[in-house]
Amino acid sequence: MNKSNSSVPNLPRRIVKETQRLLSEPVPGITAAPVEDNLRYFKVLMKGPKDSPFEGGNFKLELFLPEEYPMAAPKVRFITKIYHPNVDKIGRICLDILKDKWSPALQMRTVLLSIQALLSAPNPDDPLNNEVANLWKENEAEAISRAKEWTRIHAMEQ
Amino acid sequence: MGNCYRKQRTPLQRLGTRPTELDDEDGPYMLVINNNNGATGTSNNPSHSRWDNLRNRASRRNRDTQPTWSLCRLTDEELDKHVIDTLSTLRNSAENGTTLILRMRMFRFWANGETGWNMVLLSLIRAVPLDNALGPSAITLFIDHCPLPTKQGVMKLVNDLNLSWEKAADEFMHGRNTDKCARHRNVCAVLGHLAESLAGPLSATILTQNTLEYFMCGLEQTINGVHIPVVNILYSLIALEKFAQTGTNKDKINATEIRAKLMALEDWTESSDYKKCQVGFSARWLLDNAFIVEGRPLSYESVSLNNINAMLNHNDVSEYLKLSADGLEARSDASSFESVRCTYCVNSGVWYYEVTIITPGVMQIGWATKKSKFFNYDGYGIGDDEYSCAYDGCRQLYWHQAQSRRHIHPAWREGDILGLLLDLEKNQVIFYLNGDPLPSEGGIFNHAKEGFFAAASFMSHQQCIFNFGAKPFKFPPLDREYSCFNDHATLTAEEKLILPKHKKLELIKLSEFRADQCDLCCDLKANTTILPCKHSGICSRCVEIVDCCPFCRSEITGTIIEDTNSNSYTSQACTSKSSHCNEKC
Repeated sequence: MNKSNSSVPNLPRRIVKETQRLLSEPVPGITAAPVEDNLRYFKVLMKGPKDSPFEGGNFKLELFLPEEYPMAAPKVRFITKIYHPNVDKIGRICLDILKDKWSPALQMRTVLLSIQALLSAPNPDDPLNNEVANLWKENEAEAISRAKEWTRIHAMEQ
Repeated sequence: MGNCYRKQRTPLQRLGTRPTELDDEDGPYMLVINNNNGATGTSNNPSHSRWDNLRNRASRRNRDTQPTWSLCRLTDEELDKHVIDTLSTLRNSAENGTTLILRMRMFRFWANGETGWNMVLLSLIRAVPLDNALGPSAITLFIDHCPLPTKQGVMKLVNDLNLSWEKAADEFMHGRNTDKCARHRNVCAVLGHLAESLAGPLSATILTQNTLEYFMCGLEQTINGVHIPVVNILYSLIALEKFAQTGTNKDKINATEIRAKLMALEDWTESSDYKKCQVGFSARWLLDNAFIVEGRPLSYESVSLNNINAMLNHNDVSEYLKLSADGLEARSDASSFESVRCTYCVNSGVWYYEVTIITPGVMQIGWATKKSKFFNYDGYGIGDDEYSCAYDGCRQLYWHQAQSRRHIHPAWREGDILGLLLDLEKNQVIFYLNGDPLPSEGGIFNHAKEGFFAAASFMSHQQCIFNFGAKPFKFPPLDREYSCFNDHATLTAEEKLILPKHKKLELIKLSEFRADQCDLCCDLKANTTILPCKHSGICSRCVEIVDCCPFCRSEITGTIIEDTNSNSYTSQACTSKSSHCNEKC
């Protein structure tokens, strides 16, 4: 069982490799680790990027690798509430690479980096949450102040 | 199971506050009806004049015809009654009945504030009876419907409980006194659930030395010659497991005699007492996953899997379900609704399997295709979409498309055998309880004709054992020919291996990768160049299944596959992307 090059039973080598790297060289500002007994589910903790309305917040996400992965995109969702034009009420994220622009050459790491970038640069022109997006377009200052408030309320525990 | 099982995530201190003039403290209030004869309601009258005025106004308007309402402080007695009544509503309400939703909201309303939260949790500890099949699962459910507590709120609860070794011993010494056993079990369930949902510093604060000893006392099998009730041993174990999810707690527990205690309790795995089975299973799971004993073989290393050809699929299971090393027993202690499918898929014929019920609480056991989704956090499982159907023997319901219908079987009890028949010739699903069949169901066949798996969902603290035919069936169907998975399925030795998480992570860290492997599968050698973009780094197997170049998204017009025998690239026949194959062919 303990062959040095042994792989993990029933877990595609691709997932083994990505997990190995996520654990050994984490993305700055992001921790991601598989949960409990299912190595296709990842719990992710993402720090709100500096100079964004989400700065200082710790956002929880869940990431699941479907059976078809990497031919199909990972499924990612915010668990922590976030006021963002590209994230809907139940945490789903509007990001092209999670949908039609997915490519099997992308990785969990690249997906997480893209989500981090989305926090730095919200895109109200491609909204998932119209209410938030409209305010973001009409009164950005107010939207940013709400995003900060939500960050303080929901993403800064203890 | 539906929305009632959804978690509430709003922290306590964020909820709206009541009118301040009402609050001499933050304790919860309730409305009571003032009958003419004064039979309802409690003795403590509302003290505040504003509410008196409202009540008087209301009573003036509706004098003689309508009952009037007044606002009273919520009493412990009323709260306990609410807990008991909600337990019975939970047991009997088919779906998200309005009553159940309202009752759940009352918990949320009352627990909004430190005093109220404290009252609700103490009431759960006091009022949930020992013999209720839903007991501890209901406790986790109710707490999830309360707002998250503040640190002070949690500390006050721990102080109020004032736990210690002596306190636990006292509760066990009165083993005949079911109230005290229930109290001990409920304390374990409540604190265990708090430890899990507040994992981190707060969980570490709860586990004081005295609290730890209160739980450890439960792992003694006897105190002064008196046997500790098995249920108290079980929930002590579960509480310790949940506290151990926080690192500092785990170190603290590790420093006790936990391993020796667990090794002694592991022997109960094969017991004919179903409560002892649960203790054995939980102890073994902890020894395999959390408290590793040097020199003790992990269960997966010692289990015999020779005649097992079908099992629960450890790659097709939601994250918190615990599976035994032989893949035939499952248990959940998580507050989410955990699900699993089996390894073998059936498309035609008549199939039968049996399940031994170890715990009589809510499980939904049945059939599902791969399209059925496990939304464990939202309380959706087997029977909660069109691609699955399930039997729930606790609430006595048949589930399909998240709709339930009462069936005529009595509520299941531990040791009962649930039989499940899928007849793809007659399009029938039949459930048997100890051999007694229900009328056949067929709704699922409107949505799926093939691709069925045995599947089940578990509410917290539920456990059962599957028999896919490796052992003789207890109540085989007599009215038709049937097959069992175990006679037709095959699994490789590797597929049968259910490794504990730490073992898998160890393997992940030990895995080695060559530099020249395919970027997509990380398995085969990257031997293919895509044309016309000339991107390489992909193998000849993966290039077959991509729609365009995975690196630049350009259309693939041809490929060059490296000759495995030489280093030179030789142009080979184009791949299956023949429609684009005009450049090289």
